[in-house]
Amino acid sequence: MAQTDAAERLLNLIIALTHAPRRMTRDEIRDTVAGYSGRPRGVAPDEAKKSDAAFERMFERDKDDLRRMGVPLRTVTDPLDGADIGYKIVAADAVMPPLDLTPAEVAVLSLAAEYWQGATLGDDARLALTKVASHTPHQVTEPMPWAARATGSRDATSIVVDAIHERQVVRFDYTSTSSGYGRRTVEPWRLVVRGGTEYLVGRDVDKDDSRIYRVSRIHGAVKLLGEPGAFERPAQIPSSIFSAAVGGTAVIALRPESGHALRARGTALDTAALQDAVVESASIGVTAAELVHEQVPGEWDVVSVHYEHLDMLRDEVLSLRGAAKVISPEALALSVMDYARRALEVARG
Amino acid sequence: MAEKALPRLTRLLGIMTYVSDQGEASFDELAAHFGVSTPQIRKDIVALWSAGLPGHGGGDLIDFDGFLFDDSIASIVESQGVTQIRLSAREAVALVGALSSMLASGAAPDVALSANQKITALLGSENPVTVVATREVDAMVAAALKDATIRRRVAQIEYVDAADRRTSRVIEPHRLVAIDGVAYVECYCRRAQDYRTLRLDRIVQVDVHDEPVVAPAADSTGFSLVAEYTATVIAARGARWVLEDLPSVVLTDEGDDVRATFGVVDVDWVADRLLAIAPYLRDVEPQPVRDALAQHADAVLATAAG
Repeated sequence: MAQTDAAERLLNLIIALTHAPRRMTRDEIRDTVAGYSGRPRGVAPDEAKKSDAAFERMFERDKDDLRRMGVPLRTVTDPLDGADIGYKIVAADAVMPPLDLTPAEVAVLSLAAEYWQGATLGDDARLALTKVASHTPHQVTEPMPWAARATGSRDATSIVVDAIHERQVVRFDYTSTSSGYGRRTVEPWRLVVRGGTEYLVGRDVDKDDSRIYRVSRIHGAVKLLGEPGAFERPAQIPSSIFSAAVGGTAVIALRPESGHALRARGTALDTAALQDAVVESASIGVTAAELVHEQVPGEWDVVSVHYEHLDMLRDEVLSLRGAAKVISPEALALSVMDYARRALEVARG
Repeated sequence: MAEKALPRLTRLLGIMTYVSDQGEASFDELAAHFGVSTPQIRKDIVALWSAGLPGHGGGDLIDFDGFLFDDSIASIVESQGVTQIRLSAREAVALVGALSSMLASGAAPDVALSANQKITALLGSENPVTVVATREVDAMVAAALKDATIRRRVAQIEYVDAADRRTSRVIEPHRLVAIDGVAYVECYCRRAQDYRTLRLDRIVQVDVHDEPVVAPAADSTGFSLVAEYTATVIAARGARWVLEDLPSVVLTDEGDDVRATFGVVDVDWVADRLLAIAPYLRDVEPQPVRDALAQHADAVLATAAG
């Protein structure tokens, strides 16, 4: 089998398009670049058609591969030959600048490359590692006692990243904490990673407003809509989008010897602090200070804890199975009760 | 099936860049650096050697030094300008996102910070990802465990488990891992007399002892548990993202609902997950799962109302 391997064909294509003085048309690529079979001569029309179709398929795949690995493929149309598109790679746009990484830094990058596991971004991470290591002299490093894993990472992330880069509109099914399940059409602006949680920031086309989405709450496939370059990304993402979405402080009463994780994250409120704090309790109608005073001493300890997402804190309170009592905010206390009641309805039928 | 095109192409370009930078490199060195076998590197060099401009005229191909090639050393005579390609948007996100998550979790070596800065600087305004730090792990706990892990010293810790029990344990730490942005220490726990993966944000105190780590590191990470029985949950599609994360779950869409079938290892854990999506639930089978769910919900309501 004398057919050139795909990697070698792509390499020849890169060299040819980088050296082309202005551009290369599809026919020129097909006839001259090693690895493509060239236009057949003197064959029956349906043979020729089959060969054309095979070339088109191969060339489209090769273009996708080049774009995926970051080669900026420019399309150049000739004013005299308008219909025929040509291609060109400008070397200055394409090259990897030296990164000046130390061998220890490359070693930590190879740990990081394992982070995405089976998700599509894992393949991208390994390609990236080869790229950044190209400029660093080889040196054997000690094995490092570190590792990183993402178990919930989804292919949605890589599609979203592509769409941000290409400025292409996306559509997906989404469950939000406030408005429930529905379909969203979004101009994607930026991926934000916060404490291992991935978020998409963008403009909701239907609501005509900027929004933030948790990527893990996207279900099913992310669809690309329309053409690339469909919108402008704002240079600066307004920080208010993010801070508005990331919670506040809750006050929670805990049974002694329980809620240790909350205690470890939060601050214990002593009686004096509680008397200063006017914290209305929605669920029991008393202030935190009254709560502590009226209960048998020592029955409750009260902590104040910062939360990122109300729903995540609600899950944590629920999972303490009655050892935690929400004093504020009211929305959290009500939500905890609502979830418990709804669970009972299903469990008891 | 031969190797996929992109990993090989990226390596071919990497070899050109590496050998250009270094002047020359042995095939063994290239094999170790790019993580493939020496015969594969030889094949790669041969492939590069026959690559070049269309038409394959005499001077238009990549050229290596033939004498050095016979000694299994790569040295470039003519590169045709072939060099490594810059990072794509996805590649950049893959590296920066992973590094940043390690850093944000608190389980990262110091060089992760400098590596991250160099890559982020390279991306400039093209960087499509922002990483926001959170402070969940006590810096003292993280620093002490980092010290114990690097110096291979035993540590005494105060730990709060998922069922909220506080225990004092002596551990032999082997590795710090960031899983989904959460930091864990992989260790041998002398109290359990077994290997454990413990969350750093559940460790309230660490004392590093002078005693060296003696237990060998575990061969594998993670947990393998056997399911006791199979459960089926029907819920509105809004809960799909939670159901998708149940281990080995099979999901089928049924109109506006989704049916999830999965193995139950720990019924209380499953009940917690279901409680978290209570408003979406339509049906839960079998009875033991419903009982656990009802029991948890009752306990929550008793406290909330009392």
